[in-house]
Formats: sequence, C-alpha cells, structure tokens
Amino acid sequence: MMAVNFEHFSYAYPNSGVVLDDITLDIPVGSFTVITGPSGAGKTSLALAITGVVPHYFGGRQGGAVQIGGITSAQSSMGELAEQVGTVLADYESQLVALTVAEEVAFGLETSGFNRSQIAERVSQALMLVGLAGLEEREVAGLSGGQKQRLAIAAVLVTAPDILVLDEPASALDPEGAAGIYELLHTLNCQGKTVVVVEHQLARVLPYASQVVVLQAGSLQFAGDLRQTLAFMWQQPELRLGVPPMWAIKLTLEEQTGLSLGDWKTEEQAATELNKLTRTCAEGVAKSA
Amino acid sequence: MPKLAPLTKLILTAAVSVWALLIPTLTGQMALAAGQLLLLAFYRPTGKHWQAVSGLALFAALLAAIQYVFGSGLEFSLMSGLKMFVMSLVFVFMLATTRLQDLTAALVSQCRIPYEYAFMFTSALRFVPDFLEESQAVREAQACRGYVFRGNPLKRLMDYVAIVEPLVLRAVSRSETMAMSLELRGFGRKGRRQFTADVALSSPDYVAMIFMLVLTIGLAIV
Amino acid sequence: MPETLLNIQKLVFAYKNAGQTLAEVDFAVNTGEFVALVGRNGSGKTTLTRLAMALIKPASGTIYFQGKNTATMTPADMACGIGYVFQNPDRQIFRDTVAKEVAYGPQQLGFAPEAVNETVAWALSMTGLTELAGSFPRLLSRGQKQKVAIASAIAMQPKMLILDEPTSGQDPWDAQNLMELLTNLNQQGITIILVTHDMEIIAKYATRVAVLDRGHKVFDGTPSELFAGSHDIAAWGLLPPTAVALGQQLAGVNAQNETELVQQIMSIIKGRTGDYA
Repeated sequence: MMAVNFEHFSYAYPNSGVVLDDITLDIPVGSFTVITGPSGAGKTSLALAITGVVPHYFGGRQGGAVQIGGITSAQSSMGELAEQVGTVLADYESQLVALTVAEEVAFGLETSGFNRSQIAERVSQALMLVGLAGLEEREVAGLSGGQKQRLAIAAVLVTAPDILVLDEPASALDPEGAAGIYELLHTLNCQGKTVVVVEHQLARVLPYASQVVVLQAGSLQFAGDLRQTLAFMWQQPELRLGVPPMWAIKLTLEEQTGLSLGDWKTEEQAATELNKLTRTCAEGVAKSA
Repeated sequence: MPKLAPLTKLILTAAVSVWALLIPTLTGQMALAAGQLLLLAFYRPTGKHWQAVSGLALFAALLAAIQYVFGSGLEFSLMSGLKMFVMSLVFVFMLATTRLQDLTAALVSQCRIPYEYAFMFTSALRFVPDFLEESQAVREAQACRGYVFRGNPLKRLMDYVAIVEPLVLRAVSRSETMAMSLELRGFGRKGRRQFTADVALSSPDYVAMIFMLVLTIGLAIV
Repeated sequence: MPETLLNIQKLVFAYKNAGQTLAEVDFAVNTGEFVALVGRNGSGKTTLTRLAMALIKPASGTIYFQGKNTATMTPADMACGIGYVFQNPDRQIFRDTVAKEVAYGPQQLGFAPEAVNETVAWALSMTGLTELAGSFPRLLSRGQKQKVAIASAIAMQPKMLILDEPTSGQDPWDAQNLMELLTNLNQQGITIILVTHDMEIIAKYATRVAVLDRGHKVFDGTPSELFAGSHDIAAWGLLPPTAVALGQQLAGVNAQNETELVQQIMSIIKGRTGDYA
C-alpha cells in the first residue's frame, strides 16, 4: 500500500527552470521517509508536491502525476488533500494564526461539523500527544521555538490526517529540542501515521528512518532504506558529506577491514558491535602471545 | 460583577455613543464618564488599561484647551472634550474586558459579519507583537552595520530604507506563508463555523440591554 | 603575550520579570582566537554576545574592548571593532546588488569612497562572492546570503567577528563551506566567536570552548578537554561528537575525531594480524 506515489513527476515554478525532473518514487503507508540532499536540490518542492501546494498554490508547469492515498493531486483541491496530509512548513511560526494555543489547534476543526465539546476534547487530545497539555490558554507569541513547532504539529494532527509532511522541523532547535521533536514524530509513526520529513542532518533520523530519498539538482539520485542510501551517498564524492559521522566511521571501517557491520541506528548499537570486534581482536592477540 | 456577553458590550459601545450625543448638559456627560469609570473599576482592569484611560483624559483635556484657545466658549470646549472622552472610554472598557477571539465570534455569529473580515482583524492583531519583534531585530542588525538615527529629517527618512525594506519583504513572505498554510488547513472550506468561544447571551445580558434601551428612549424623549 | 581583545568582567544581566540570565560571568578573548560559545537555548550565550556588541546593557559588570570600557558605546560605535553576523541574513539585506549591500557598513562608518571600494573588493574576494558582486542579493541561496552578511561585516574591517548560530538550518555542504571561510578569516588575523550547538564543528574548528549553563560559565578550555570525559556535558545540554562518544565506550580507544577513531580501531585489529604474521 502506497501513501504517496510519484509517477514521472516534473515541476517548474512560474518563471523558473525545472526544479523537479522526472521523479518516480513510492512512499509506503506507515513509513518514515526522509528527503535529503544539498540545498537547491528540490527537497522542499518535493515535500510541497505531497501537500498539493505544488502545483495548486504556486501554479507553474507540471508533468507526470502524484497520487496521494489514491487521489490524483492535480485533480483535487488543497483542501481535499489537507484531509489526508498534515503539513508543517519550514517557516512554521508564520503558519500559526491564532492568539492562544487552544484556538490554534481548534482552528482547523471549526468548519468540521463537530460541536464545541467535541472540539475541546480533540484539542486537548492533540495537545496531550505533542506534550503541550496544560498550555491551552497561553498566548502563541509567548511560546519557545520548540513549543511553537509542537503546536504547529498539534494543529495539523487534530484533523487526523494519515500523512504528516514536515520541512526541516528541527532546524531552529537546540540538540535536546531536535531530539524531542523526532521522538514525537517516531511515536506518531508507530501509531500508524506516514511521516515524511525534509532533513539534511541525517544523524537526527538514524534511529527512525525507514526510507531515505536523496535529491540532487532536481533529480532523484537514490531511494532506499538507511543502509542502501547511506552506502550510495558514501560512494558519491559530492554527497559523502551528508553521511552522518557514525556511518562515516562504519563505512570507513568496512572499507578497511572488508567486514560487514550492522545497521547502526544508535550509538549503543555501534559501541556494542565495535566492542565485540576489538575484544575478539584483543583476545586473539592474547591467545597468540 | 456579572459576566456580560461580547454582543452586549458591542451594543453598549454603540449605546454610549448615542447617549453622549443625546445628553445636553455638562453634568450629564460627567455622570456618563463617571459611570463608565465605575463600571471599568468593577472589572479590575490592569495598569495598562488605566494608562490608556489617563492618556485619553489628557487628550480630551488638550482638545478642550485647543478649542478654548481658538475662541470657542468654555462650556462648548469642555463639552466636546468630554464627549470625546466618553465615546472613546467605552472602547477601552470593551477591549479591557473582552477577549479578542470572543469579539470575533460575536461579530461573525451574532452580527453576521463575514468571517474573512473578522479573521483579518484578529490575525492582524495577532501579528502586532511579531512585527514589533521583527522590527527590533532589523534595527539591531543594521545598528551593527553602523546605522544611526540622526541628521536632518530628510537624511533620516532616506536612512530609514535600511530598516523598512527588510521589514516589508519579511512581512510579504510571512503573509505568503500564512496564506499557503490557511489553504492547507481548509480555511476556504464551506460549512457552518463552530466557534470554540462561548458568546451566548444570558439573563444579565438581557437585563443590561433592557436598561440600555430604556435609558436611550428616556434620553431621546427628554 | 597575545593582546586581550575582549574582556568581560563580573557581568550580570537580567530580563524584566525573569531570573538572572547572566550571573557574574568573566570572559576574556585574545586576538587570534577561535572561540565557540555553547549551551542550550536560554543558557545566556546569545545574551553574552549581545552585551559585547552593546546591543543591550548589563545590570552590572564591565566590558572592555581593546582596553576601552564600552559602557557608553552604541552598537554603531562597536561596529568598527566587532562585526556581528545574525542568524537570519534576510533581516539586513536591503540593497539591489551584493556589492552595494556590502558597501553599506563602511559607508556608514565614514570610509572614503576609494577606501569603500577597496574594502568591498577585499570582502567579496575573501567570501568568494566577487563573481556575484552585481547580483540581486535577495535571490541568492541561503548559504550565499549568509556569505553576503559575513562580507558586510568584514568590510568594516573589524578585529573580531561574532556569529550567532550561522550553521543552524544549513546543510552539511553549506556548513562546511562556511566553516572553511571562517578558518580562513581567522588565519587572516580576525578573532572569531561562534555561538553554536554543533559539537562536531567545535571539535573540528574551535581552538577554545566556553560553556554557559543557566547564566553561569561552567567551562572554559579546549574542545579536547571538554570532551575528555571528566565533565558531565549532557547536564549542560551538550552531546559529544560521535567519534568522541564512541571512543569513550571502547577499551583502549581515545579519539577526538573520526579519523583517529578508525585508526585506533584498525591498529587494535591489526595488532592481531601483526602477531599472526
């Protein structure tokens, strides 16, 4: 089952050259898909094509097709797509429009036909989920960056979309804040949401990513699981820098030893395996001595 | 004090303006001003609101003084100053005691103002603090590049481009993002809008409205 | 003896209705240093650099720049000594070409026209923007705009450059490019203070790190001292670089970077093969 399906999709903004060129890509239901690549690669445009902003909001020229949950994007409106896709834009602060936290979350439900107590219940559930319970009456302007990011997530979650699309959700946060946001996204992913994020610091998503998509200058360079994609990036001189340090260590060791090491998702896994490796070696030294 | 619905306060705002026009005597106007101040005091406003009140008072006094200086009679000058004070004071009362979101809900669901207009009003207010913050940030960035606000007015105006231009461009990109996000959140969707704010009228509201009606008719007849 | 460029003594700062943001912080920076200033959001690191730039004034304490007390100075006065590069270049770019944009600072500081041209040409060449001199700055990429901001700062010929989280939100390619530029500027004699969260960058580029935690300076030393394992840096909201963290969990390994880690692991492994041989 595919949540999103790009079929030879190409796109150009009005008065600009082609930013996405012949993209064919499947995003399975329930996956945690990460879109990465150097700046100007078309990452944001690809993410916006899932939400329908591309092409509905910007206009421009499109070739091929995008299917979202079986609906063809070009033949439906942004509002219809929004029922399936929740979007958190890179400039999430501008996305927040209400005065208080509770109203911000309730905003998307006001025309949904729910009554006041149903809305209130859903709002408090969404806030609970993102860890903002109890802040209902706080003013949006007074929240920290991480709290605003969580609020933007709660505001799209409340309409219960199947797919979440986030453009660089952690870029303005400190390491603890960034880790917190990704843990939240992981939890949502485990609850069955398909998560798509644009992220160039792959170290942040190592434990969670099920699919990594590499774009470069508008073309799809590679899409695969973590191991396949990072191995591919490692082979490309101009993409190598995007490989997170832990995997740079792993891939260098594999090159130099000829061994095949595990798919390290966390530092603990890496340490365990490296300890095993060095200990057996040390034992080997002791025995032969 | 009983909690009044936003609609009642909106009607009160209109009623006070009518009364201010109808009351012919200085004592009557003063009573109206005193009544409003008393009402405001009952709702325990913050220092900020008292500041606004004193600002209005000062402005009214100035208005009266100017009229007097330019040859109007003393009573006429005092009268116009007071009228202005009375009519603007009621807005302070309304804004001090009503949440903006309740006001929007009342305007849309009870006064039948199109939601888009009411939304424009509240979202504009929502962006005031952000805009001030942004303008501070731009000012600081340019100060670090040697921007100083001095010289003759013309030079100052020319220099001000360094502040205004980044601000305007930021505001434009911001409203672009907001428009995009509104569409993404189904803003244009048809259907009855259920406000989360409770703005329904209750008995104190009806009592207040009857009182206002009687007073207005009374003043009109006298 | 290197000259003390910036000398901050017993600095206290508090925002209205909040606790102390900085509590008696001492911080001195010598000419030629490349200092990283780290700590979690709200630890006071940006407050400290804003105070140094005279953007805000301390509750108590003194700041000396090149031996002069800056108490009565404005940011515009500081501008010829310190170039301050903000996180978001969009908040300052307003002219229609890159060269004019970069010229704004020196013009404001009263440089003569020839001197302006000269310093702009130098700043553009240092930042690799010479070819973009006539471009419309708003349409450049994020990484390029950041460089325009840096060129604008160094065109004022400052002794010191303060950068507030310049790599946050940048991809690894732009970030590396930027750090190479800063290293280059540092070698030209410009002292650098970098406010950042990125420990990999600190380990690689900084000669010194100061850590702030809830308004107190809790560490001031070299990156390798910071990551040596004797400090509970997680309590300060910091994550050690991957190579350091991994090395600490392996017997017989003590690495500062990826290359060292791989070398040391390889030598353990080769120790065996060497024995066999």
